[in-house]
Amino acid sequence: MSWAASPQQVSAPAGPAGPAGADGPPPGRRWLAGATARGGLRYAWNSASLAGTALIWLALLGPVIALATHLSWHAVTSSLSAPGAFGPLVISLEAGGITLGVLVLLGTPLAWALARGTLPFPRVWEAGVLAVLLLPPLVIGLLLIFMIGPYTFFGQALAHFNLSTTNTFLALVIAEVYESAPYYVLGAQAAFAGVDHRLEQQAALLGDPPRRVLRRVTAPLAAPGLATALAVAWARAMGAFGAVVIIAYHPQGLPLQIWTTLQETGLPTALPFALVLLVVALPLPLAAFLWSARAQRRRRG
Amino acid sequence: MLSVDAEVDRRDFTVRARLDVAPGERLALFGPSGAGKTTLLEVIAGLVAARRGRVELGGRVLTSTAGQSVAVPPWRRKVGLLRQDPALFPHLTVRENLLYARAAGARAELPGLAGALGIGGLLDARPAGLSGGQAHRVALGRLLLSHCEALLLDEPYTGLDAALRRSLTDVVVALVAERGVPSILVAHELADAQAFATAMAVLDGGAVLQEGKPHEIVRRPASRRVAELVGYTAFVPVPADGARRVAGIHPDRVVPGAQSRQGPVLAGVVTGCRPAGALWEVTVEVAGVTVPVRLPDPAPAGRDLVITAVDPPWFGPDAAASRDRGAAGDPGKRGRRPGVGRARLRP
Repeated sequence: MSWAASPQQVSAPAGPAGPAGADGPPPGRRWLAGATARGGLRYAWNSASLAGTALIWLALLGPVIALATHLSWHAVTSSLSAPGAFGPLVISLEAGGITLGVLVLLGTPLAWALARGTLPFPRVWEAGVLAVLLLPPLVIGLLLIFMIGPYTFFGQALAHFNLSTTNTFLALVIAEVYESAPYYVLGAQAAFAGVDHRLEQQAALLGDPPRRVLRRVTAPLAAPGLATALAVAWARAMGAFGAVVIIAYHPQGLPLQIWTTLQETGLPTALPFALVLLVVALPLPLAAFLWSARAQRRRRG
Repeated sequence: MLSVDAEVDRRDFTVRARLDVAPGERLALFGPSGAGKTTLLEVIAGLVAARRGRVELGGRVLTSTAGQSVAVPPWRRKVGLLRQDPALFPHLTVRENLLYARAAGARAELPGLAGALGIGGLLDARPAGLSGGQAHRVALGRLLLSHCEALLLDEPYTGLDAALRRSLTDVVVALVAERGVPSILVAHELADAQAFATAMAVLDGGAVLQEGKPHEIVRRPASRRVAELVGYTAFVPVPADGARRVAGIHPDRVVPGAQSRQGPVLAGVVTGCRPAGALWEVTVEVAGVTVPVRLPDPAPAGRDLVITAVDPPWFGPDAAASRDRGAAGDPGKRGRRPGVGRARLRP
């Protein structure tokens, strides 16, 4: 805007109106004035976008703030000192840990194959992963009953080994895997796809067979992305509720403990367990994000 | 000894080539973009499969489609490939990059080679902090420390400035000579090819058109196509000995004035003149053909000018016809492409 104005103003003193510079600052000044006006606008714009970003951040953080403001120390101590209060926490951590192990073992090769495009009909494979992501967890739980419930083929096969997939620890792990797997697979796929293929080719030409290329180049370069994907999957697994409430009401993990406490004794006694979930689930993703950010920064120099 | 004899199918044509590179010899594969040069290197490196052919390196058969087919995977070929992208591993330091291949004795060699390449002070840096030239030196050092038995350079210096290109070429030439490995440089700039090579092969449309010493190819191109590729910009028919032959005119192989002992003398009218480096690029219309030449002095447009083409390559008139009809039929290209006309031969 000021750009368009200044040439006219600059040329005006040279016209027939009067001697140059008679009624205004010299042209250079005008230009400077335009620049500061632009600087001011940019400053206002920057401030506005910062304020907007902060607003969104606060809105996202709202539930956590609400949790912090509605917790009383008395409620926390009385809830957590009840006998067996930490049982669900231990179960959640165990199930979450096993879920992560399953995801890394089974999800990583799938993600790698998806990223490399080595599978026939790659879109079909991707659509399958997306379908699990799109189904509401509650529906997944219901469908899991049809799939692995006690009267299905799998259920009966498992019964031979004295295993059951209703209201068991195994059922909890299965439900958590279903709820978190697509997040890990899609994230890991993006991480692998982000590794420059020319680097892998160069490693091969320098004498590394494919498996060693994977270990020395692909895996380290994909690691930050894999860590982020794993952090997201962990958060999903720890908070898994929809599918869990259908097929694994017992043994109770943390989210179900919050739900049943809410049902039985009300919100004030349930909230402290939400704090526990937050405190226990947060460090792993946080560490993963920090490490991944540091690794990326080092690579960029 | 690296010997290649391969046929590779590309989308629009088939690359057919037969090359032999002796240890310590430096071959430049020269040709326009899309001639199949990179494809040939990838066949040697084992990244692309040949439809038919054989690749041998130092007595080892790397690829063979005859009889019992052989296809040694890239990681057992010991062929070093350096592309325009140095492809340094960003998660490793320069030292770790250099020693990536873990060849026996590489650790002991490292300080000397790093010194020769001028990267001795960068060993603990990360690739992200290197300049383009430094990254190329590291990539080259990494190949040499991998003790590869053949060195393939695929236009490695594209995007670097001329001085840097020259100094890197000198380093490569010295190190290749010292190690005695056969090496192939792919280039689409003639000056790059000449600065590097002891031998040159001109590749176009997937076929090797001519092989020889770099200066021989430039002085005596075997065909008009080769002549065009190595920089001949105009083809002027000159009646001589009763037969009409076509002289290839290179802008740099022209002297002003009539020097009939050095070559055919051409007379024409100047149509344009502009500075080109330390010289002037003067376009002369010789009997309908636009002939760009580089001369030490400017010549004003419209003036008559007599020039002598120094010992030009000669071509038959028939070979000329087929290519130039196409050019003449396209009015937009006229004057920019070499045309055909008749020159007056001065007595």
